[in-house]
Amino acid sequence: MAVTLPPGPRTPWTPPRGDGSALRISRTPGRVGRTLLALALAVWFLLPLAPLGLWLFADRWSYPAALPEAWGLDGVRSALAQGAGPAFARSLGLGLAVSAVATPLGALAARALAYHRVPFPAAVNAVLFAPLALPAFAAAFGLNVLLLRLQVPPLAGVILILSVYALPYTTYTMRVAYGSHDLGFEEEARTLGATRWQVLARVHLPLLAPALARSAFLAFLIGWSDYLITLLVGGGAFITVPMLVASAASGTGNDSVVAVLSVTAVLPPLILLLGLGFFARKPPGGLS
Amino acid sequence: MSNDLVIDGLSKSFSSSSAPVLNNVNLALESGSCTAVLGPSGSGKSTLLRAVAGLEAPDAGRIVLHGTDLARVSPEHRGMAMVSQRPLLFPHLNVLDNVAFAATVRGVRRRAARTDAAHFLDLVQLEGYGRRPVTAISGGQAQRVAIARALAARPAILLLDEPFSALDPQLRSTMHELLVQLRERLAPTILMVTHDREEAAAVADRVALLSRGRLLQHDRVDLLYSRPVSLEVHRLMGGTNEITGTVRDGVHYSALGDLGLPADTGWPDGPGVLVIRQESISIQDNTRSSAEYGVPGIVTDIRVLGPRRLVTVDASGIRLQTEAPWGRPLGAGDAVRLTIPVSARALVPGQPDPGGPTTADTATAVISTGR
Repeated sequence: MAVTLPPGPRTPWTPPRGDGSALRISRTPGRVGRTLLALALAVWFLLPLAPLGLWLFADRWSYPAALPEAWGLDGVRSALAQGAGPAFARSLGLGLAVSAVATPLGALAARALAYHRVPFPAAVNAVLFAPLALPAFAAAFGLNVLLLRLQVPPLAGVILILSVYALPYTTYTMRVAYGSHDLGFEEEARTLGATRWQVLARVHLPLLAPALARSAFLAFLIGWSDYLITLLVGGGAFITVPMLVASAASGTGNDSVVAVLSVTAVLPPLILLLGLGFFARKPPGGLS
Repeated sequence: MSNDLVIDGLSKSFSSSSAPVLNNVNLALESGSCTAVLGPSGSGKSTLLRAVAGLEAPDAGRIVLHGTDLARVSPEHRGMAMVSQRPLLFPHLNVLDNVAFAATVRGVRRRAARTDAAHFLDLVQLEGYGRRPVTAISGGQAQRVAIARALAARPAILLLDEPFSALDPQLRSTMHELLVQLRERLAPTILMVTHDREEAAAVADRVALLSRGRLLQHDRVDLLYSRPVSLEVHRLMGGTNEITGTVRDGVHYSALGDLGLPADTGWPDGPGVLVIRQESISIQDNTRSSAEYGVPGIVTDIRVLGPRRLVTVDASGIRLQTEAPWGRPLGAGDAVRLTIPVSARALVPGQPDPGGPTTADTATAVISTGR
């Protein structure tokens, strides 16, 4: 039976080549497989955007033509005529408002959970994450009645309910961040003479800024992309981009308008995502 | 010399532990002195430091700085600065702005704070490192920056919580030298926590030995070794030789014979344990010329301690240990004579417990020697 012996004086041990752990050394079949998978995913994500991009500038594109038969900006003009501009502003405002409410609340909840400052943390966790399990329609329908009886203005009701829906995401994101946050930095700052507020502004927030940005982004997405709650609780008076998209998509012959509105719906989150990626890569120690 | 800091009857318990972490600790720090709080893991030394910094609220006792009780003073107003085992440099600030942090939170203009910080970086021999991100410096450099940052805060008391324990021995020696130089130039009052006896001896004037939350002895470094007040202190300081006997008229009588005690101290008559540091006992051949000196014995064991050897000798049924340099050939079964200088003898009350008085590794395992 063949026995593998550890390297002895006569068989010097040679370290594996490459940087870092030997476990991360890539073998050819694995490398090829990963590259193919990455390409397939890229095609899967990008392919639907190609007809969308073409429809933006297509005044006429009938089957079976491979490319638009008439180019123009009729779709953009129609979208603007249907109120795309104000709807964009409302959606942006709604996303920012939900982000502004849900991010600090999520951070506070996460801090309390991370540092075991809440009684019955399992129950609190369950309540915080309940909106994920609850069907949005059921929650919105029930709460709508309640908000009407309490005479809460529709817009405030929309922001309130969407913030509750965003809370699980912001809490989870911040909980992970607080899990790896070292309180020693804050103690160090206190002994160096910083007050509680100075510690918050000059140590706590800068250290948690990437997580706060991720959390705010997720909350923004909840507000920006919501359709059902805005429609039900807003009473149809508060028209946002997703509502315009749904309205246009439900009719026929509106393909270019739907394309314009869809791109309008995609752009702000995409820009925010790119910004998030850019700032997340900023080298540490650069702020002063 | 006046006392900068007085710790009076400090006690602290945590709900997770039945025994108090600090039990009626009393300590006074002279202005400009360096006191090392030495103790094994879990002895409460870090809790003591955190209580002084205002990061832990004591259950009882007072911490008085320049005559002011700090009970209701928040950490940022105590005039302390702390350096921990981890440098805890703020990762979003560069080296210079880390050092300038204390000044900027005090409201000093940024340019003036940076000029001042550069001076402290020079002090820790890191001139020119100011613009580097804190991730671009080594562990030793990071600890230097942490010291510079603490000194730049002009603390009334500089608190050091095992600041060099994560560094390699060579770097640690360099940092000890740096601390000695900083003391010569700035004369800060320092309270340092360490579990390393050699580190305490290298940088501190006085050592406060803590065990299970109790202060066992607060004394000069040399006295802690040569005049322990109890067997526990002797063992925690790494002493291995304990000889039961009786004292009469300044002479200790035991199976080793009549051994005179140092005349500079009045030793009480009665039963007492003679303690002798193993480094103080010298070993000689049992030749005719040395026959009239020292205690005869037979070598029973030799263990290597790097540059020295720990030699165990059976002397009239008593196990003694001595540290001997390399050079002289020694082996188990050799007949030798042990010379015990009078100044190396000390008496402590109590009985050595049979479980572990003279095993070398009992005490050394409790507090590291730093070797």
